[in-house]
Parts: sequence; C-alpha cells; structure tokens
Amino acid sequence: MVRCSRVLVVLIAMLPFQAVARELDVRVADARGAPVPDAVVTAVPRANYTSLPAVPSPKTHIIDQKNETFIPYIEVFRPGDSVVFHNSDHTRHHVYSFAPARQFEFVLAPGESSTPLPLTQSGVIAVGCNIHDQMITYFYVTEAPFVARSDGDGRARIDLPPGSFDVRVWHPRQRPGSPDNAQAFTAAADAAPAGLAYTLTLLPDQRDAHDPERSGY
Amino acid sequence: MTFRLRLASFLVISLALLQIVTALLVYEVTRRQIIGEGEHQLALAATAFSRQLDDVSARVADNVQVLTLDYALRSAIAQRDRDTALSALRNHGRRIGATRMLLMDLDGAIQADTQAGQALEKFPFPDLADLALEHPEAAVVAWNERAYWIVVVPVSAPTLIGLIAAAIPIDDAFLRHIQEQSTLPNTIELAAQGGSGAWAVVARGSEGTDLAAQFIAAGDGWPQVPVLRKVNGREYVVSTTHLRSSKQSRPIVAVLGYSLDDALRPYRSVGIAWAALLALGLVLGLLGSLLIARGVSRPVEALAATARRIAAGDYRPPEPLVQRGELGELAAAFANMTQAIGEREEQIRFQSGHDAVTGLPNRVAAEAAMQQQLTADPESHGALLMVALARLPEITKTVGHAISDRLMRDAGERIRGPAGESLVARAGDGEFLVWQRAADQPRAIALAFRLIDLLGEPYREADLAIDLAPAVGIALHPVHGAKASDLLQHADVALFAALGTAEPVVVYDPIVDPHRPERLSLMGDLREALDQHQLQLHYQPKLNLAQGSVDGVEGLLRWQHPKLGMMAPDSFIPLAEETGNIRRVTRWVLAAGIAQAQRWNVHGRRLRVALNLSARDIDDPELPQRIEELLAVHGVSPEAIVLEITESAAMSKPDAALRVLRELADLGIDLAIDDFGVGQSSFAYLRRLPVRELKIDKSFLLRLAIGPEDRTIVRSIVELGHRLGYRVTAEGVNDRATLDYLAEIGCDHAQGFFIARALPPEALATFLSARPVPAGESMV
Repeated sequence: MVRCSRVLVVLIAMLPFQAVARELDVRVADARGAPVPDAVVTAVPRANYTSLPAVPSPKTHIIDQKNETFIPYIEVFRPGDSVVFHNSDHTRHHVYSFAPARQFEFVLAPGESSTPLPLTQSGVIAVGCNIHDQMITYFYVTEAPFVARSDGDGRARIDLPPGSFDVRVWHPRQRPGSPDNAQAFTAAADAAPAGLAYTLTLLPDQRDAHDPERSGY
Repeated sequence: MTFRLRLASFLVISLALLQIVTALLVYEVTRRQIIGEGEHQLALAATAFSRQLDDVSARVADNVQVLTLDYALRSAIAQRDRDTALSALRNHGRRIGATRMLLMDLDGAIQADTQAGQALEKFPFPDLADLALEHPEAAVVAWNERAYWIVVVPVSAPTLIGLIAAAIPIDDAFLRHIQEQSTLPNTIELAAQGGSGAWAVVARGSEGTDLAAQFIAAGDGWPQVPVLRKVNGREYVVSTTHLRSSKQSRPIVAVLGYSLDDALRPYRSVGIAWAALLALGLVLGLLGSLLIARGVSRPVEALAATARRIAAGDYRPPEPLVQRGELGELAAAFANMTQAIGEREEQIRFQSGHDAVTGLPNRVAAEAAMQQQLTADPESHGALLMVALARLPEITKTVGHAISDRLMRDAGERIRGPAGESLVARAGDGEFLVWQRAADQPRAIALAFRLIDLLGEPYREADLAIDLAPAVGIALHPVHGAKASDLLQHADVALFAALGTAEPVVVYDPIVDPHRPERLSLMGDLREALDQHQLQLHYQPKLNLAQGSVDGVEGLLRWQHPKLGMMAPDSFIPLAEETGNIRRVTRWVLAAGIAQAQRWNVHGRRLRVALNLSARDIDDPELPQRIEELLAVHGVSPEAIVLEITESAAMSKPDAALRVLRELADLGIDLAIDDFGVGQSSFAYLRRLPVRELKIDKSFLLRLAIGPEDRTIVRSIVELGHRLGYRVTAEGVNDRATLDYLAEIGCDHAQGFFIARALPPEALATFLSARPVPAGESMV
C-alpha cells in the first residue's frame, strides 16, 4: 500500500507548465523478462517541492462492464474521485469490494449504471463480480503527484521536474510479500532522458483462472 | 519283473517325467513372466498411483476452491469475521473429508484452525502455501506421525486475501478406497519417516500385508528397482516410489506390492487341470501299456506254456492265439516245430524201442513191456525164452552184415510163427527173446523145441546154406525171478549153459549159476587187495629128481580176504580174467616173484622161480618189455625165472601167444607149458613155441599109483618130451610111490604135497634149511 503525503499532491494535468521537465522511462518486466503491462508507476518527491502541479479537481471515472469484463482492468484514482459502474452486458453483475479503503456491494441490471461512489481513501480497491468470478478490476487510489501506467510493452513514461524522487511500481498480480521496489531517481535540468527498470514477480492472472476459454488448460 | 510290468512302468514313468518336467518348465516360465509382468505393472502402478493422487488432489482442490468462492465465506474472511469463517471451514471440511481446515494469511500466519486447542501460529508447510498463491496445491505430507493430504487453495475476494488448507488423512480406508477404484496392485502401503528419523508404516491398503514393515525391519533402505520379497509366506514383487511432498515434510514412500500368488491364482486352475490331465494320462498310459504288453505277453506266455507242455511230452499243437504279426509267425513256427518234434520223437521212440534189422521190439522195450505186465499181475506165470544163434558172429565175419541181417530177419519171422501172441523181441546180436505169458515149464520147453526145430533148418540164400546152430535158455516167472530184468539175466545164464553143452534147451538152474552177483563184488575187493597188499605169493618147491634136491619153486598166489579168509587162485583168477582185472594181478605176481628171486639171490639160494601167466596176458604186447624192466630193476637174471602158461591158453590164441612167447624167450627166459595133457595141443604146434619145459597135468598123477593107463601116459609124455628136448615136471605128487615111479621113468622135477605145500618165503627158508639144496654157482 502506497501512502503519500497530502501536501505533495501534484496533478498530472498541470505537467505542461513544467518547461524544464525530464522524461523518466520506466520499463517493467516479469521474472522471465516479458514486458508487464498494467503496472502503475508512481514518483514521489523525496523533499518538499514547491513547483508541484496543482491538485486537480475531483473527477468521476466510468467503469464499464462488457463481455463479463471490467473495463479497464486498472484505474488510477486520486482521493476524492468517484466511480460509476455501468453494465453493458445482458446479464446482471453483482459488484462488490471488501477492500478496507472502500467496501461496497450492489447488483447492476443490464444497461444500468450505479450511482457515483466517492473514493476518499488512498489504497488499492479490488472490485469483483460475485456472479462472474473472473471479473476483476483494481482501483489504485493514490495521492502521488506523478503517476503513469505501463503499456503493452511494459513501458511507462513520466515527465519529472528536476529533483529527487522515489519511484515505485505496483502491479495487481505482484506476489504477496514482495519487497518495496522503490528506486531513487534524481532528475537534472539538462540531463538526457533516463530510464529505470523493474522486475516483478507476478502471480497468474486471476481473470484466466476462472475462464476455461482463456486459460491455458 | 514281468515284461508286462516293465513295459507299463517304462511308459508310465517316462510319461510322468515328461509331464513333470514340462510342468516345471511351464511353471518356471510362467512365474518369470509373471514377475516381469509384475515389475511392469508396478512401474505402471507407481505412475498410476501418483496420477491418481494427483487426480484426487485436483478434485479435492476443486472442492476446496469451490468452497472459497462462497461469497459468505469470502466476505467473512475479508471482513475478518473469524468465527463465521471458522464455522464455514468446519462445515466445508466435513463435506470433503478433511479432518483439519486452516485459514491463513498470504504470509502463512494462521487465522483460523478447525482443530481447537492445538492452534498453530504459522502454517507448517510454507512451500505449499507459496505455491498455492499461483494455483491450488496438494501434497502428501507426514504430519504428527500420520500421512495427510494437504490441499492449499488461494482465496480471492476478488483479489488474493488468504489461503485455505485442508488436511485429509490418508488412512487405511483411504488407500483401500483408492485401491478399489483403480486397477492398482492389490497392495499399497505408505511409510513415513518419523521425527526420530525412524520409518513407520502409516497406512495399509489391505490387511495382512507387511511389505513396508519388512523393509523397515531390514533397515537397508527402499529398493530403487522392483524386487522379489517373501512376506508372510507369500511372494510379492515390490517397488517403492517416493511421493511428492512438501519440503518441510519428512519423506513419504508408497510401497507397492504385486502378489505373485494372486497373479498365479488363475494358473492354479490350469495347474489342477494339468495335474488331472496328467493323472488321466498316466491311467490311460498304464492301461494302454498293460493292454499292449498283454497283447505281447499273453501269446508269449501261452507259447511258454506250450513249450513246457512239449517238454513234458505233450505234442498237441498250441492254441492259435495270434494270427497276425511277428508273434503270429512265431506261433505258427511253434506249431510246426511241435508237430515236427512230435513226429521225430515218435520215430525215435519207435527206433529206441525196436530193432532196425528185424523190426522187432528191442530188449529194452521188451523188458519194459514185460515188467509192465509183471507189475500189473505179479502172481501170473510166464516163461522167458532166450533164443541164440551161436554162430552168428562167425557168420557175420564170414558172409558180411548184409546177409547176416537178412538171416536175422528170417530167423525172427521163423520165431514169430510158433510164438503166436507171445512177445518176440531181438535181445542181442544173435539173440531173440520170447515172452510167453501164462506158460508153465512144459509149455515153454515144448515151444523151445519147436523153435529149435524151425531154426535147425539152415538159412538159404542163393547157393548159400547157413547152419544157424540155435540154443534156447528158459527162465520161468515167478520161480526164477520176480522182475523182468532178473528173468532176462537168468534166461541168459541158461542160454549160456545151453551153448556150452550138447543140450539145445536148458532151463535155468539157480544152483549152477556161475554168475551170481556176489562174485562181482569180489572183484572190487580184489582191486582193493592189490592196493592194500592183501595178496601174497607162496612158493611150492620143485624137487630135482635126479639130484634129489630142491632147485626151483613155483610162485602160487594167495589172497588173505578180510572176510572170506585165505582164498585159492581158482576161486578168483577166472573171475579176474572175465572182468579184465587179470593183467593187474599178473603184474603184481611178476613184481613180487622177481623181487623174491632177487632176495634169494642175495642170500645165495639158487632157486628158479616159476610164475604163472594167464591166457589174457599172452596177448599183452607190453608184457615182455615190462618183465625186462622188472628184471633190470631188481638185478635178476632171466635164467632165474620161468614163466608158465597153460596149454589151453597157448592154444586159444596161437598167433599172439607165439609172438609174445618168442619175445620172452629172446630175453632168455625159460617158458613152461602148464597143465599139459588135458588140452588139445599138438606136438606139431608145441614145436613152434619156444618152450623149454612141460608140466604134466596133476589129473594124470593123482591116479598114477593105481592106474596102469595113466602110468603109460605119463611115461609116454616124459619120454616124448625128453626126445623133443623138453624138461618134464610132474605136478600133484602126493605119495612116495608116485615120486618113486617118476624118478624111475626119468622125470626131471616133481612137485606136490608129498614134497611140500606152497609155503610163504620164511617157511620155505626153514624147509630148505632142513633139506640140502644143491650147491652151485649163483645163477645171477
């Protein structure tokens, strides 16, 4: 669980203001060296930093349910943001979460949308469907000023202002008990683009475990 | 052991051996194959067992996982509602047969444990928990000295929030259940290493087997490859396989046993069938071989019985038992042989019972027939006539066998006419016998004379007319003998008497029979006497009438018979001559006489010793040489002895006598003719003999004193003898008148009781000492 200081919250939307911003290229791979998508990379300044982007206003995220899948798989929230579930399937979905950060449970009829649920607490909220075990989505609620998600190539890019940062990578399937993977990164004003590499030990994708059609059995 | 039994036992034993060897071979091959099959099966079984465990694991894991998908449980776990979670776990644990359910955090910290009281802090098999993060994990572990199945599944709500572990005990029932559900070998055991490092059996799939226990007891580890073990008297192929387990667990092995006995069980019925077949085969073989052997041995036994029958004289053809095959041929040959033997025996019997020349029964057959009648009726009267043609030997020598055979055949025919129903047989060379049943003496004599008349007619053939000179001896039953053999013997004696006299027919007279059996025993005694020196020579002095002194002696044989006393030569010499013993007697006499002559010579007595030769001695060609040797051995000169032969002996074999006597004379020995005057010798013949002395027969001397004729004869002999150059000796001088007369007519020597009896040498010495002996030079 990543905890950030509320004081240091910087909104990603404010990044264009940073004329001297540095691009950090993070590569995430699993133990076998395969690129890992859907990893959340956060960079937290190690000291007080004044030129942080302004905190954006709360926002409502739409999580669609289509083909018995939550879309997207990973969604990054800032505390105060809300989430609305929409059911695009022809079946009901019994959406639930036992996460300490936010617990809820309701049934959505086909075509129905839930009322907005505000997510006020930082943390990871795993959401599943009680009817369809393979359905899962993760809400990463964080106050970190710089956040990025790895793409299909396992790459995530963050433009950082000069300064020192703790850069961490989180992935929903990361093996429990894995050590804190924070790496220190210092961005210099005139330096060339730099990169960080992370290797994660992942568990099998839970979405595959319950779906014979998608599993490797 | 009979052929039948031998054949049967050979067949049966070889059959049994063959079957047993085959059975052993098949058993061994089958057993090896089963062991190989067992090893193969065990290899498969080990894999199958693991796979089955995996299958069961997957199933249990699925069950547990389904349980984890229970929303209420998930919410209870997620919301840390420990009591609810525990009760749900207990409930589900019962459902899947787990004795213990654990709920733990992802880091292994125990959150809930259905086994109260022994609550754990940390999950003891973290490697399983670690693996379970990725997928449900199951393993067999040794836990608290027992074997458990530990299934660990992750709990997602919806992300991983914990792990549930179910412990299912692997006990005997569980193994049995697995065994029943599968084609696994009939014995599975699990052994686990305990805390102390010692192995212990934790579960058995079936009762009564102690495979693992045996390996544990042996202490030499678990076999890497299948091995053959005997447990509780049963054989197993045993293999062990280490079960996949937690790293934290002590090792567990599955011991798989493949029972050879069970595998062989299907073959047991085959074996029993085989044994039954073998027994049946043996019985059939035995019966068959007995039958075959009977087919062979019965005809053989029958033939053997026939052979014994033939040996006993029964020549009926054997019963035809076999028509075909070698035995049939044998039987046929046997039948032919039997017939041939029968015919031949018939012929031989006829020949043995009949005379080939006359066709009449022979003596043996006739005697048997007679004896048969006499045995049947011992009281009956009968007469046996022995008819002889005395001249037959002479006739045969003159005209040959062919004519004499025809003559005998003719004689037989002549006899059969008057004999009528009486038994006629040929009894010998020139002899016939006629057995007249129920005949008395007059009838027998009448028949005898009738036969004499008939046979008195000469036999005529071409221009030959041969006189048969018949004689008949008669013996009567029962007076002359009870047995046929006695009658034959006595009829022979009578016949012999008839041949020697003018009477052509003689009836046996036991009183005059010279052939009494007791005489034969005398010869045995005589041979014994020769060996045991019962014989001795006595010497009768010969008086020289001219000189009035004794100058010679005649050696006379005496036999001191142990039972009969002193025996004179007349009583045994003729017998010795007849029985062929005379030459031994003569030899003894010569040896004794010459030895005595030598002794007298040594003592200076000048006595010539006269010794008697028998008629049988003078055709002994070796005699002269023997005498010469005796003389040489004893150193006696030939002039010291005189050999005497009787006149009749000299006449009986003139040629032989002449040869032998000449040889003796050539040796320088004087010869004398004994008993001169009673024979029919002619002086003409005597002149040819080298004789120096004549001894006048004593019959002339006995009546000399009273008979003027005998005086004339004696005087004539003396004168004629002297003229022909012979010395003359008179024997049997018993009185002085005779002696004086002899002296008067000029006889040379006198010998007789009046002078002296025959004396033993010692007595003679005494006698001679009393009489003057003519002095003179020694004759040696």
